Amino acid sequence: MIRVALLTAAAAFALAVAAPASASEQHPTESELETMLACPSCHVPLDESDSPVAQQMKAFIRKRIAEGATRSQIVDELVGPPNNLGDAILAVPRTHGFDLIAWVLPLGGIAVGAVGVGAGAWRWSRRRASNSLLLADGPSLDPELERRIDEELLRFDG
Amino acid sequence: MRALRILVAGCVLALLGVLVWDVAHRSGGKIARDVDRGEIVKAPAFRLPRTTGGGKLSLASLRGKVVVLNFWASDCVPCKQEQRRLNAVAARYSPKGVVFLGIDEIDLNGPARAYLRHYDVRYPSVSDGDGAVAGMFGVTGTPETFFIDRRGRVVPPHIVAPPQGDALEAGIRRALSA
Repeated sequence: MIRVALLTAAAAFALAVAAPASASEQHPTESELETMLACPSCHVPLDESDSPVAQQMKAFIRKRIAEGATRSQIVDELVGPPNNLGDAILAVPRTHGFDLIAWVLPLGGIAVGAVGVGAGAWRWSRRRASNSLLLADGPSLDPELERRIDEELLRFDG
Repeated sequence: MRALRILVAGCVLALLGVLVWDVAHRSGGKIARDVDRGEIVKAPAFRLPRTTGGGKLSLASLRGKVVVLNFWASDCVPCKQEQRRLNAVAARYSPKGVVFLGIDEIDLNGPARAYLRHYDVRYPSVSDGDGAVAGMFGVTGTPETFFIDRRGRVVPPHIVAPPQGDALEAGIRRALSA
């Protein structure tokens, strides 16, 4: 019963996430595309740029949205043929091809760092444990000294 | 632990390598500077899509002719001011083996085509959408004009802004005689 409820919840969550993404792909808005793209001459997000080429790009986006083009089509037509403005206009790197490095490298760095910290913590805890064992296995105290320590401790406790 | 150190050192070296490669490959852009000093330099090879469609055009395909390379953009006002003169000079020097080649820099294709139609540009034009070729030549704005001789070398002068007087014809004559 719990399993069914969990699966239903997961499916509902996936639908909730996927539906707007699909809608955005099929019916992109001008403002959404303007935040995804950058001006090729001034290198600021398109929605913050008023350069002549940025204005051309905005007009192109408006026209293609009116013609019913999808988000991917519009982006591809600006990056590649017929406009060939290149990947530099992408405000966010793509998640495939060479651009994937931009995502993988920082995440890989974090993973390597986490492994390093984990390994360091494990070595440190092992060293502490072995030091404790060394102390526990150390030479036994002189009976006279042990008796005096017990007396002192009793006095403190009392 | 030793393996981890080797891995970290390898990563650092790889990143340094990427940095050095990037710096080395940004050394383009010296052509305008060198030509302005009066030097003759080899023109970089490029192959770009024709602005009006119909495939790509490479500079190598024009070897053996004098090439007048004009960087322009559809939103550039001085380009519009010089365009009719460029058209006239291109037509006049065409029989002498001089080819004008427009390079449309960081521009959208629709406005670029409209510009070519409006100004009745008859010589070929290619699209340098991301400005990579402009970067190789050290172009800092539009319009800028370079002259390439029959051996594929960029010869002085390098004209920034619309040419004054007979600077355009003088550049062509120099390239023809180089």
